[in-house]
Amino acid sequence: MLRFIGTRLAQLAVVVLVVTLLFYWMLNLLPGNPCVAAFGGAATQEQIAECEQDRNLDDPVIVQWAKWGGDVLTGDFGKSYLTGRTFGEAISNALPRTLLLLGYSQALALGAAIPLGLWSGYRQDSVGDKVVSGGAFALLSSPVFVVGLVLILVFAVKLDWFDLGGYRPISEGLVAHFKVMFLPAVTLAVGLLPIYLRLLRTDVIGTLQEDFVGTARAKGLPVHRVLLTHVLRPSSFTLLTIFGIQAAQAVNGAIVVEYLFDLDGVGSLLVSWVAAREYLLVQTLVALIAAVFVTVTALVDVVYSMLDPRVRRR
Amino acid sequence: MTDPSETTTAAIKPRMPTRFLRIPIGGRFRATLVDAESRGGPRRGKINIALWLSVGWLALVLAGAVLAPWLGFLEDPNRPLAGDPELGPSWSHWFGTDQLGRDMFARSVWGSRLSLSIAGPAVGIGVVVGGVLGVMAGYFGKWIDLVVSSVVNVALALPALVFALFIVTVLGQSYVNVTIAVTVLSIPAIARIARAQALRFAAREFVMVAKTMGARWPRILFRDVLPNVVPALASIAFLAMGIVIIAEGSLSFIGVSVGSPSITWGNILAAGRGRLEESPHIALTTGGVMFATLMALNFVGDELLRRLDVREARI
Repeated sequence: MLRFIGTRLAQLAVVVLVVTLLFYWMLNLLPGNPCVAAFGGAATQEQIAECEQDRNLDDPVIVQWAKWGGDVLTGDFGKSYLTGRTFGEAISNALPRTLLLLGYSQALALGAAIPLGLWSGYRQDSVGDKVVSGGAFALLSSPVFVVGLVLILVFAVKLDWFDLGGYRPISEGLVAHFKVMFLPAVTLAVGLLPIYLRLLRTDVIGTLQEDFVGTARAKGLPVHRVLLTHVLRPSSFTLLTIFGIQAAQAVNGAIVVEYLFDLDGVGSLLVSWVAAREYLLVQTLVALIAAVFVTVTALVDVVYSMLDPRVRRR
Repeated sequence: MTDPSETTTAAIKPRMPTRFLRIPIGGRFRATLVDAESRGGPRRGKINIALWLSVGWLALVLAGAVLAPWLGFLEDPNRPLAGDPELGPSWSHWFGTDQLGRDMFARSVWGSRLSLSIAGPAVGIGVVVGGVLGVMAGYFGKWIDLVVSSVVNVALALPALVFALFIVTVLGQSYVNVTIAVTVLSIPAIARIARAQALRFAAREFVMVAKTMGARWPRILFRDVLPNVVPALASIAFLAMGIVIIAEGSLSFIGVSVGSPSITWGNILAAGRGRLEESPHIALTTGGVMFATLMALNFVGDELLRRLDVREARI
């Protein structure tokens, strides 16, 4: 077990190192002086010199990268030369919004997918199953921005049930918070739901063929108990795995959803930094996101191997 | 190693007689014979109509995209005041007009031109590169597999859009660069499926026989393994096409795809977002076209996969 975790940790370190080094190398290919670009063209000679010093632009790429890595490890994430805001300030403002958005949408998606998936797998090929499966298929073909636009049009513009135009924290009241967060969460959940649902349904159909299901039924357990305790449980492995993979998908969606709903989360931050050519901040953020994701995948693997010892032996 | 379904594809799964008893757990006691073939195989009638509808729609969109400059009835997509501004859909302007009076139907068709001309080459290159990497990993195993699988697994675990954003920013917003970005993103998913397929067929008896008869690896690879992997890759290409269209759409929706005079589905929708209250038809019509196209691509891809009995299709 320890050895397994060790291998995963080593992999994690290698990935983060390689990814960031690759980025540094790509940034180095850019024409022009990144420090001139960072001030948007309006900078004094001293400011540019200070920035060049700050970013070690005279060093070879690998040394720049190593120094950057050292800065990040000691907690110095850099700052925007245009606005003077530090990386930490920007992130601490944006991160809670993104995490809430991701949390709500995962909860909505799983909350809907588990009962629907169990039921449509159990009643395979019934009319209801066909409707659910067809619906899931349609949702799978809908890009987030189309779903979001339709939801905004119907529920915010026509019916006026929800608010647009910026994030409101929970401290401003739960109602105000959810009036702003509900549509984005649903939009994002719509992308995740069909994937969970289809996977669970396939799994359930397989598990229902097992002998132990017949036994459970024969000893007199009611159907819902059999489904919830005997059928759902083996499927939780699959859901866990797919959760790890889908986390990345969810962030893709979150970038678009935050942009669409003006939420100013991490995704919006990334897009605005990209637009302002704040390469160093973009690089730091992308490296952090990569690190978080590789960690999540590694964690899923570890939890998985705790639950299912067969994984470790391979 | 993260995926449980890989174990099932890795093990030799003989295509058994697929009739077996389904133990009923429902209230009604019915011992149904479930035939996996009939569940997974082609269902006649209804499915075929839907399949042909999808193929027809795709052909229509493709024809529109390719022939757009030569279609006489199509307005110039950039001509202002082709009709009054912000008209709803009508007979003369099928999709209505935008705030400058440009014809939205023409803009949708021209948008498909750019979106498809990015997605087409991206998927083509993605299938070839991903296919080669995946088949090599699946057939040879050992260190090749180790390298390919770990790169693929890591790549799949990272949020693709973040990297596409990064690539396009660094290289610049041009047609070629956007295509490069989405191509790179499509490779890992395709390689993963090719690997699973190759793994499955590398363990089959005819490969074993070829080996015992003294065939060398190029012959086995090209004569025995590859012909079995190619159909799966062809159907994956449809699904990948949908994913790439969404990726490019997301990029141009947030304004990071090919620059602004070009028309893409994504930037039409981005423009429609600001006019939802006054003229919802801008977003709805192009959104509808995009949705129908993606649905058709997914449907054809899914149906092909089902007929070819490919496991581990979409994740």
